[in-house]
Amino acid sequence: MNKVAIVGTGQTKFSKDDSDIEKLLFESSSKCIQSMNDCDSKDIDGVLVSTNNNSKYLGAILSETMGIQPKISHSIEHLCSSGTNAIISAYAYISSGLSDVILVSGVESATNPGQILEWDKSRGALEHPIYWGSMLTKSHKRKFQTTEEELAIVSAKNHKQAMDNPFAYSNEARTISEVMNSKQITDDLRILDCSRSCSGSSSILLASEERAKILSEQPIWITGIGQKTTSASFTKNILEEIESTRIAANLAYKMAKIEAKNIDVAEVHDAFSVCELMAISELGITSNEKSGEFVRNLFNTENRMINPRGGLIGAGHPLGATGISQTIEITNQLQNKSNKRQISNTKTGLIHNMSAAGTSSSIMVLQN
Amino acid sequence: MTFFEEQLEQGIFQICYCRKCNYTIWPPKEICHKCYSKSDWKKSTNIGKILEFSKKASMYFGLIEIDNGIRILGDISSTSTPKIGQSVRMNVSFNSKPNYSFIVENN
Repeated sequence: MNKVAIVGTGQTKFSKDDSDIEKLLFESSSKCIQSMNDCDSKDIDGVLVSTNNNSKYLGAILSETMGIQPKISHSIEHLCSSGTNAIISAYAYISSGLSDVILVSGVESATNPGQILEWDKSRGALEHPIYWGSMLTKSHKRKFQTTEEELAIVSAKNHKQAMDNPFAYSNEARTISEVMNSKQITDDLRILDCSRSCSGSSSILLASEERAKILSEQPIWITGIGQKTTSASFTKNILEEIESTRIAANLAYKMAKIEAKNIDVAEVHDAFSVCELMAISELGITSNEKSGEFVRNLFNTENRMINPRGGLIGAGHPLGATGISQTIEITNQLQNKSNKRQISNTKTGLIHNMSAAGTSSSIMVLQN
Repeated sequence: MTFFEEQLEQGIFQICYCRKCNYTIWPPKEICHKCYSKSDWKKSTNIGKILEFSKKASMYFGLIEIDNGIRILGDISSTSTPKIGQSVRMNVSFNSKPNYSFIVENN
């Protein structure tokens, strides 16, 4: 397999306002191409679009708008982890030699009706994510004695970190007390424990080793990939576990020849506060019992190791763009370009992106 | 509408299972997930137990397991705080989407 690197990135600001998806795609893609030294549209031979929007033929539409006539072009949908799925597909095209340089662009509009999983009849009328979010939270509190304050710290930390992310939908600080006293959605969820649906777009350019060395002075290499889908129905989950994340992480670590202790920085899928605690446990960074304490320590010491851009809770969650924005953050961290968010001496970073209550997970390991 | 949905509309929860390997297919499908044989139907006992619960406004909701390990999200009617493992009876209906509600037994 050929090596694959990330060589360019571009993002729009996330927003709760509705927005035209073609316009957003064009904006982030243009920024992505402009982020490179000398990239011509003729160099790009693949265009993939990740979205849950029902619009058709977006790969070809974006290609035409950008003046690209690619060999490979199509859309990719996998609910909340569409973005990393698209990047991993691009990786596969390049590493196999079918393509050399691929633009991956993710997009969502805040009001898109395609975000609800209608297929899952086991959810009945309770199809909104807050219902499974409440079940996971209640279960975590009971089984691991996780406190409401520990859950609130996840949100306070991620809001604080998002203040230094110019692309986040909100740049407001939220104290632990503000989170704990925010609007109650259910007995186990407050509004500030939830990530918000947003409009936004993120784009990334991937290249083969040969092309990467021409296109970028600081290529960031994708060295580990793991994916696992356990079902399409939330109700099949064991409530205190995210099995798909554990399996995908082990696959990615094996491929990258690393262990959890080697991770310097990680973007994890905090759809709800409890998801961050569960994710860092399943990734092997800490244990379920100690996850609340681990995050409290990060918050108290201003250590941005987990979700430096503010996660989904702080930055917002435009489904098709989220996985790409997570990947851009880890890329910038490894390039030492994260400004106020920068963590020192990063060598290895991880992206954790998941769908539908963790029934599917994608993990990538990046190294500089 | 599917057979499953028509039955829900009449207040009946049909369990989909494989005639050949007896595997319970949930959510229901015409073909078995394990051996790809044709599936069949049998009526649920409509009795289950609470695996987890929470509350939205004044209504409890939760994850319930009914016969053969079928897990369902739905509203829970209870005059007091539900308990994990508590027995519930399921009522079903269909109005553009399935609706499941559970009543705590001996409430």
